[in-house]
Amino acid sequence: MNFFQTIFNYIRETYTDRLFYFPSNIRISLLIILFCVIAVLELYLYISFRRAQQIKKKRDEAKWKEYIDNMLANLVIFDESDSTEEIVDHFYPKMSKLPLRNPIVNQVLTAEILTYHKNFTGKIQEVLSILYRRLNLDKQSKKKINNKNWEVKIEGIREANEMRIKEMAGEIIKYTDDENGLLRMEAQAAYIKLSEQYPFRFLDRAQERILDWHQVVLFEIITKNKQLVIPSFSHWLRSPNDTVVMLCLKLIDHFMQFDASQEVQRLLKHHNPKVVKKSVEIIGKLELADAEKHMFEVYFDQPEEIKLEILNSLGKISSGNYNEFLSSRIYSSDPKIKKEALYAIKRNPAYGEAKLREIYKQTTLENQALIKHVLDHRIKQ
Amino acid sequence: MREFLATFETFFNNGIFYYAMFVMGSYVVLTLLSAIEMNGYMKKNSYVNYREILVSPLAPSVSILAPAYNEEATIIENIRSLLSLHYGNYEVIIINDGSKDNTFQRMFDYYQLEKVDFAVNYQIQCNEIRGVYKSKLPSFSKLTVVDKVNGGKSDALNAGINVAGKDLILCIDVDCIVQEDALLKLAKPYLEEKYQVIATGGVVRIANSCKVEDGKLVEVNMPKNLWPRFQVLEYIRAFLMGRMAWSRLNGLLIISGAMGLFDKNIVIKVGGYDDSTVGEDMELVVRMRRYMYEQDRRFKVVYIPDPLCWTEAPGDLQILGRQRNRWTRGTIETLWMHKDLFFNPRYGILGMLSYPYWFFFEWLAPIIEFLGISIFILLALMGNINWEFSLILISMVYFFSLALSTIAILFEEMSYQQYTKGGDLVKLLLAAFLEPILYHPLTVYWSIKGNIHKFIGKNNWGAMTRKGFKEEKKTEEVPQQTTTI
Amino acid sequence: MSKILIAEDEVLMLKALEFKLKKDGYQVDVAADGRQAMEKVKSNTYDLILTDIMMPFVGGMEILSYIKNDPIKKSTPVLLISAVGLENVVLEGFHLGADDFIYKPFNLNELSVRIKRYIKQNVF
Repeated sequence: MNFFQTIFNYIRETYTDRLFYFPSNIRISLLIILFCVIAVLELYLYISFRRAQQIKKKRDEAKWKEYIDNMLANLVIFDESDSTEEIVDHFYPKMSKLPLRNPIVNQVLTAEILTYHKNFTGKIQEVLSILYRRLNLDKQSKKKINNKNWEVKIEGIREANEMRIKEMAGEIIKYTDDENGLLRMEAQAAYIKLSEQYPFRFLDRAQERILDWHQVVLFEIITKNKQLVIPSFSHWLRSPNDTVVMLCLKLIDHFMQFDASQEVQRLLKHHNPKVVKKSVEIIGKLELADAEKHMFEVYFDQPEEIKLEILNSLGKISSGNYNEFLSSRIYSSDPKIKKEALYAIKRNPAYGEAKLREIYKQTTLENQALIKHVLDHRIKQ
Repeated sequence: MREFLATFETFFNNGIFYYAMFVMGSYVVLTLLSAIEMNGYMKKNSYVNYREILVSPLAPSVSILAPAYNEEATIIENIRSLLSLHYGNYEVIIINDGSKDNTFQRMFDYYQLEKVDFAVNYQIQCNEIRGVYKSKLPSFSKLTVVDKVNGGKSDALNAGINVAGKDLILCIDVDCIVQEDALLKLAKPYLEEKYQVIATGGVVRIANSCKVEDGKLVEVNMPKNLWPRFQVLEYIRAFLMGRMAWSRLNGLLIISGAMGLFDKNIVIKVGGYDDSTVGEDMELVVRMRRYMYEQDRRFKVVYIPDPLCWTEAPGDLQILGRQRNRWTRGTIETLWMHKDLFFNPRYGILGMLSYPYWFFFEWLAPIIEFLGISIFILLALMGNINWEFSLILISMVYFFSLALSTIAILFEEMSYQQYTKGGDLVKLLLAAFLEPILYHPLTVYWSIKGNIHKFIGKNNWGAMTRKGFKEEKKTEEVPQQTTTI
Repeated sequence: MSKILIAEDEVLMLKALEFKLKKDGYQVDVAADGRQAMEKVKSNTYDLILTDIMMPFVGGMEILSYIKNDPIKKSTPVLLISAVGLENVVLEGFHLGADDFIYKPFNLNELSVRIKRYIKQNVF
């Protein structure tokens, strides 16, 4: 007891009477110690408190989730032939009794409705859309869209998007060129789905970059959405925004839009190598034989990456006009060019492999190894 | 004489004080930066649906490179888990680095391999590749096995790069447990940054005492053994605080050797891994950064704080000591190889901030600390010490490091919360209390030993016996930041 | 009464499917993740298995390949639920012997008709 008393007294004196007699560095050290000790204690209190709260919240959430799950699962027992109105009337009174002011209940219900809507089609979707409006959850989404925090805005946009609340397209378009990338992307994605007349209007006005990642997301939406009327994407190939051009090229590629062929060929002279590369790829994929000579013209000025792409495209077109050119590539000093040219020759279904065997007979050991590699079907290009 | 000693003591105390202030100040800045970065990352990525990358034909293609040396016990399982990652366009390349056991035979039999006519383009120098193998079974078409003459881990990775056919390369330790979504998360930055991304690195977490089934992590547990537990704390601090802060500054120097995703073309341009150093993972990133500066190209090295990769940490002190010794030598070698970066404004953040930080904090700090303690003991022996003042100074450092660890625990708590069992928090706290007394002096000792080995003759240690990487490879990772203080 | 196993990691979906199939008069067993599903598949016999492809720990593909490589269980129809329309996943699935693919979003009533057909086929 006495021992602790002594220590306690020592600490007290150090921090009170004696504090001002220490040299300044020791005094500062003492203050730092005090600060750190208090910080550690507080941090631990905070962490414990946070955990306790979390546990409570989880418990509440689980309780409500179970309850709402069971309520919603009853939706599945209806048949396609049942009247939508009747089903809605059956569910609405129950749901409207839920304490929607409680943020947990509100959040769980919204999330669950969205999940169902996303995963099922048919009657269930129809019923949920009506219920969502009846419960005024659509107004709540709208409020979120107009919130000043971008995270909340995104939440609202996602809800409107999933529940197909078409009248919100007008609210959403203003964010399609927002400087916050995430918000911009969500708004674009939603706008495509919600706009009735002209879902691609945002491309006309896009100044901000559509990052590759956003392109992935938009591409998914555009290519998987069967209701969407697909426009001719060559319309935007003259956009000053390179990222818009890239996105449209990817879509032209996917939808095989042959009407874009002239515009795509023009892009072989584009200032952005990424655009050039993609254009070459499309020319190959669409087998635009009349573009061969343009690719050949620009070939020698290109960096390796685009040269490889051109060789690949020549292979895909396989018109036979550039066989000599392809064969002569095996004298290149770059093994990658050689390999690509050999693959291009092989692509000709009629005589490609035969041609390679012919070259094999009269070439160097190194090239022979490459030809063997190219002819080996187990190795993927 | 007595007078001189007294003056020296005051001088010494002041020196320690100002040095401590400087170091502590830096850590405070790093902590703040990491808090900002962490907050931004968590906010941004809670809105991301990674499934879109998974299904998209536009996602970048990845070659996974995993060198294997004497791994016969686990190789089949490891490959299986690599083949089942969630990603669209990827291939798995296992490089058998001249194993002396049955590693190759096991793979050959299980995956029904056959040799293909692969014409290797030796873009980066590496030991002879004896053969490239593919499976006869269509369900393993993603797998390629490279059989080569033994040359060490770096050499094996270089061989893998020569065979890799995709745009990005993921270099990993074959025995670490990779989370299924790791590739999705690592690849995403390549799609979203404004500047070219040259590398992304993931967090390494400690798998000791965790439950693993079929090569997949099923349950996270706090290590039962004390030494790995200290490492858990150390890793949390280094990964969630240190690296996050450096990522914010775009000055990150290390991508873990256990898991890093690189732009293949840049790696080839800089000549791949350097097999003359034991710190090849750090050295490669430094060289890639340098290259980008020299080309005047804007770029980023990105760091993903999600737990993506789990690995067994050394549980016994001898192996742990060897690992740290090796890290120290790796740091010294890298610093020496790139000594012209030191405060070189031509290299921006790399030259003005990252390099000097590594120089002073990672290399010099343990040495200064060691010298300080030696002088202290000397002064004490001469009876010339103000015990009270010294104790206060030491307490300050102790409590500061405790506070730092606690903040790290808070970060973990607010982000990933991997340790959720009741007593885990208390265990971590206890580790934080004991670490400066028990664990930290050892790390200083190992670091000094590494310096001695490096500078006095024993620098061939390891390379002389055999060029394997099995034993020391365990957590080849370098969470060096914030290990010192 | 025919016995069906549903493996799906999204609780809400699992519950909906369970309700629906119970209402259709099947005996329904559920698994909330791949590991549970694998254990159940190993220790029981089912008349049909409906499984999500993407589940933690053990994916639907692994369950599929286990069943189709087991000489006795081989004939059990396996329907895979998938949100991804990735061609190679579907191809791999059929290659491993999947009987059918269901894409999210899907119509529950249509699913129920399909299941009825597979179970009938198997009886005769």
